[in-house]
Amino acid sequence: MPSQVFRVSEVGQLLDQGAQLVDVLDPDDFEHSHLPGAINIPLKTLTRETTSRLDRSRPVVVYCNDFG
Amino acid sequence: MGFTKVADYAAGKQAWLEDNQAREGKSTEETWLGDVADASIPTCRLDERTGDLRQRVEADGRQICVVTTDEGIVLGLLRKQALAAEPSRTVEDVMQSGPKTFRPNLTLEELLSYMRDHEIKTNALITTAEGRLLGVIARADLEATLEHEAAEARGAGSSDG
Repeated sequence: MPSQVFRVSEVGQLLDQGAQLVDVLDPDDFEHSHLPGAINIPLKTLTRETTSRLDRSRPVVVYCNDFG
Repeated sequence: MGFTKVADYAAGKQAWLEDNQAREGKSTEETWLGDVADASIPTCRLDERTGDLRQRVEADGRQICVVTTDEGIVLGLLRKQALAAEPSRTVEDVMQSGPKTFRPNLTLEELLSYMRDHEIKTNALITTAEGRLLGVIARADLEATLEHEAAEARGAGSSDG
């Protein structure tokens, strides 16, 4: 189970540790706006293959639009 | 999938943008409130006396002062009339509590539309979702900026053909 973070500062700390940001929203949403440096892997497409470009030795922070 | 550490940023993109954090994507071609909010607006604390504030606010020229906590969380607003109160009265006594605020990830058009619909003729306070003051936008500046952008777009359109 992934841990949950809620604050911007917590995301910043993870990024300082070399974390990779993954936006799991639809491509249209991603193209409109996303966190700096994020890559887009829509939730429905998350597989070992689609995540192959991520470095498994580094932390990963995933996000969607909001709590809902 | 073999990752050593995975964290879910549960608050999500919306919370990030409402905190006026940096963004990438097509939205950077839009002007958002957080991009232009004027952070130089005078601020004060609840226990200050209106007499002590008046000169500072008048010197600024905008005739308003935002009441915040030490952490910058908006508590209220003082307008010209409140600032003219008897000088020994505290800010807490005369302020407008809980003023309407707007998030930084709205566009200028969205704010102007709201201000027109609700007959807000002066200023809009821009805060994060947690209420931290980012700045103020005057309706007059908003209208001038959008008019300027529209004129530029018309000019570009006519030169295109």
